[in-house]
Amino acid sequence: MKVVEAKIVVLGSQGVGKTSLVVRYIGKMFSKHISPTIGASFFTCNINVDDSRVKLQVWDTAGQERFRSMAPMYYRNANAALLVYDITSTSSFAAIKGWVKELKSNVPEPMVLALVGNKCDLESCRAVSHNEATQYATSIGAAYCETSALHDQGIDQVFLSTATSLLKLSSTNLVSSMRSYDSVDGDERLPIGTPTEETATHTGKVELPAWQDNRVAHGETQRNMCC
Amino acid sequence: MPSLRIDQSDLKCKNGCDYFGNPQWQGYCSKCHREQLQRQRRAEKASSTLPKPEQKKPEKSFKVTSHSSFSKFEEKRLRQSETLKKANLLKFSVFKKSSTEDHDHVAEKKQAEFKIPAIVNEGMKRDFRLRFPNLTPHIDRDSRLFAHSFIMDVIKHSNILTVDELSERVQRQYQLFMKHMDTSPHFVNVDSDTKELLIDFVEKHSMKYLHELPSVVFSPTGTDDERLDRVMSERIQQLSWVCETHLECKLDRNSASCRQLLYKAISELLGMDAALSPGGKVARVRRACKHVLALCGAPASADDLLPALIFTVLKANPPRLVSNINFVTRFCNAQRLMTGEGGYYFTNLCCAVQFIENLTSESLNMDKKEFDCYMAMPASIGGSAWAAALSLCGASREAEEQMLQVEKLIAHTKDLKDKADQLANNAETFEKEIAKKVQDVLAKTPLEIKPRRELPRLGSLKTSTSLLVDIDAEKILIEKSLQESTQLGSTESKDNNSAENFAVEIEIPKIKMDNIKNQPATSFQEEIDQNRFTDTPKIQHEPIITFSQTPEEKSPSKSPINPWELKQTNSLELLTPSPLGFTPFDSRSIDELMTPDDFGSDQVPGLSNVNYDIDLSDLSGDNSLAEDTPRDQKDPFSPEPKKLYPFEPRNPFSPILDKFDEFTLIDTKTDQPSDAFEVVHRASSSRDPFSRDINDSFTMEKDGSLLDDSNSPTSTCLLPSPLLPQSSKPN
Repeated sequence: MKVVEAKIVVLGSQGVGKTSLVVRYIGKMFSKHISPTIGASFFTCNINVDDSRVKLQVWDTAGQERFRSMAPMYYRNANAALLVYDITSTSSFAAIKGWVKELKSNVPEPMVLALVGNKCDLESCRAVSHNEATQYATSIGAAYCETSALHDQGIDQVFLSTATSLLKLSSTNLVSSMRSYDSVDGDERLPIGTPTEETATHTGKVELPAWQDNRVAHGETQRNMCC
Repeated sequence: MPSLRIDQSDLKCKNGCDYFGNPQWQGYCSKCHREQLQRQRRAEKASSTLPKPEQKKPEKSFKVTSHSSFSKFEEKRLRQSETLKKANLLKFSVFKKSSTEDHDHVAEKKQAEFKIPAIVNEGMKRDFRLRFPNLTPHIDRDSRLFAHSFIMDVIKHSNILTVDELSERVQRQYQLFMKHMDTSPHFVNVDSDTKELLIDFVEKHSMKYLHELPSVVFSPTGTDDERLDRVMSERIQQLSWVCETHLECKLDRNSASCRQLLYKAISELLGMDAALSPGGKVARVRRACKHVLALCGAPASADDLLPALIFTVLKANPPRLVSNINFVTRFCNAQRLMTGEGGYYFTNLCCAVQFIENLTSESLNMDKKEFDCYMAMPASIGGSAWAAALSLCGASREAEEQMLQVEKLIAHTKDLKDKADQLANNAETFEKEIAKKVQDVLAKTPLEIKPRRELPRLGSLKTSTSLLVDIDAEKILIEKSLQESTQLGSTESKDNNSAENFAVEIEIPKIKMDNIKNQPATSFQEEIDQNRFTDTPKIQHEPIITFSQTPEEKSPSKSPINPWELKQTNSLELLTPSPLGFTPFDSRSIDELMTPDDFGSDQVPGLSNVNYDIDLSDLSGDNSLAEDTPRDQKDPFSPEPKKLYPFEPRNPFSPILDKFDEFTLIDTKTDQPSDAFEVVHRASSSRDPFSRDINDSFTMEKDGSLLDDSNSPTSTCLLPSPLLPQSSKPN
């Protein structure tokens, strides 16, 4: 099983619902399973996509304008960005464009972008049209979702699509900051029933040395670090 | 290396090389200083082992590999860990040499080789066992080997690389170790999480050591860290007027819990400087942020966290903040710092610091003029409200801690009290048991020895005390007791009460004496008969539990009862013991009157003096009991170990007994001779049954010792025999 570790940063203006989005997602996650992480500003979650697993580290950012200049510290080494805006506020949508520009210029590595139009329950007050958003999303190569943190709509999709894209991205090996490894080398959180010993015996190599060789190959190709 | 400092020429190495000097290195750059130290050391070792702080002429040399600047450091540790070292010679044998070896070889070597103190290795070993009990010793060894080479590598390059290069190198080392873990057969069975823990472990221990070396990794030379620290600290101080409203964070100054959380967050932030490893520092930051998050209320988003954290940093003004942050960013495992919770919170801290650095009127949403006014204000004025609240918080926390301590103490005292009560109960039950036993024994008593003893004693008592004076042992005892008793005696003669204060044991008998005197002889006997069995336990209780209270509480009516009881037993026994106590007293008075003038004068003139003497004799009796028959006392108690302590309180008994026997007799003789004689007779008459019982009881209980004692006196002469009964009486 392939495991990918990735960092997601949540960007957006103040009041667009970044935190409620995240809180909604965490809340559901907690009720399902997984160890709880205190605080909505940072949390980790595992998403299974097909045969692979994506470990997401979600970093929330402060949306206030005065902290805008600190954003680079947050999105440094991020592999994905959730660009959240309020569909009832054009200014928040405009701010997204600024964020994207900033990301493009400051992040050297390819990133997964996801444009999230929050508060879609307030359809009556919509200020940013669906079309406009979709167009913009495709122009920047981002996935587009409309969500409602209030009614819990579309949030799962956002994270799932992001995870999928991250998986794809990791397979291209273009991103050095993203850690991916084969879980043969023993990830604790593997689904029960697939102990590592079994895979070893499947290959017919019970001896330790043979086992090593396998692992070396995987480890060397995929483990990179960026300073 | 050279950077744009204000007065470069002053900062340059004394030696004239292009590097900067450091006051820590006596104004030399690290290399020159090292060179010099080395030479110094060599010279010292050649001449003597004593190190001298002289400076020698610096020589230009740029050898990278020698690091004697750390050798002092290392030597200190070496001394501490020499024993550990010897036990651990197996590993890193190249670097581990006993100190004697060191001395021998260094003189020959051109360069002192830097050695990592064994304590690092030892500490790693211990910690490894603690944290990874399941991992094989191979892994333990590998990690320690890596830590060692890592430290050596860093130290080697600390002088030739810039900090950034060094940081890169360190990061590469981490990656190397990761790779090693992925490829080495030792780590085959280790899962990735444990591997991360291992790399943290290695980082922690190696950086912990490096951190302590001055200017290597922490605020290293060639960086502005120290200056920036100062600038930052000043800036924060200047911004002390910034309060929660400026930052728009929802903090309630008046809420105690809020203040508490803030206080905790601040103390964690302050603790960051104390943590030695980057991981430890990050952990501190994480904990601080957790408190800050709690401060914001749940669920706290980044919108709340950052302002609150900024506020916390402003209020905390952590020491060496910039140095700490730089240290972590440079030398923490980058993987760790980029990802994970610690990384996130550390990033937040960096943001907070950056915000504070760049803080303007706009970022606080306030008027520029107002902002300038605030900034112009002396730092000491601003922020007094929060400062007060926080200091209050600190005080209240201290108070809480003290409260906890007090509670502990209270619990402890309660415990003690319970135990004391238990002890008292034990003593009580013990006394009751003993009393019962005594009574049982008394019931069984046949006294065969009595007739022999009684006859001489009775005769001596009736005729004169002088006959008994002959006993040497008694004299000695009396003499000893006299010194102690003289004071008591003098006070006693004046006031019985005052005497009581001094010693309960003594007082009780006196009171008894007085009562005895006053009461008719007939009542005496009657009381004795009545009280023997009933009262004896009571008497015992009082002295044991509370000495001071007993005398005061005892009203004349009560006191007679107790003494009577005692007297009864005594009187029963008196036949033998009373003469002993009495005679020695007289003998003392006669013999010793010559030496202690006061004493003699007191005794001679008045009747009161006579009473005195009696008291003294009692004391002597006590002492004699204690000294002569320690075994006797112990023996009865030894079967019941717990009751040993209660026994001591009994001593009151012994005095009481003595007093009864002898005092009654003496007093009667001196004050009212006719009554006394009568009393004595009665006592003697009553003694026969009682004395037998007593003797029997003692012999029964005390077997060995008592028997021995009894044997010795009987065998030697008639006179010594009284001693035995006295000893037996107390029991």
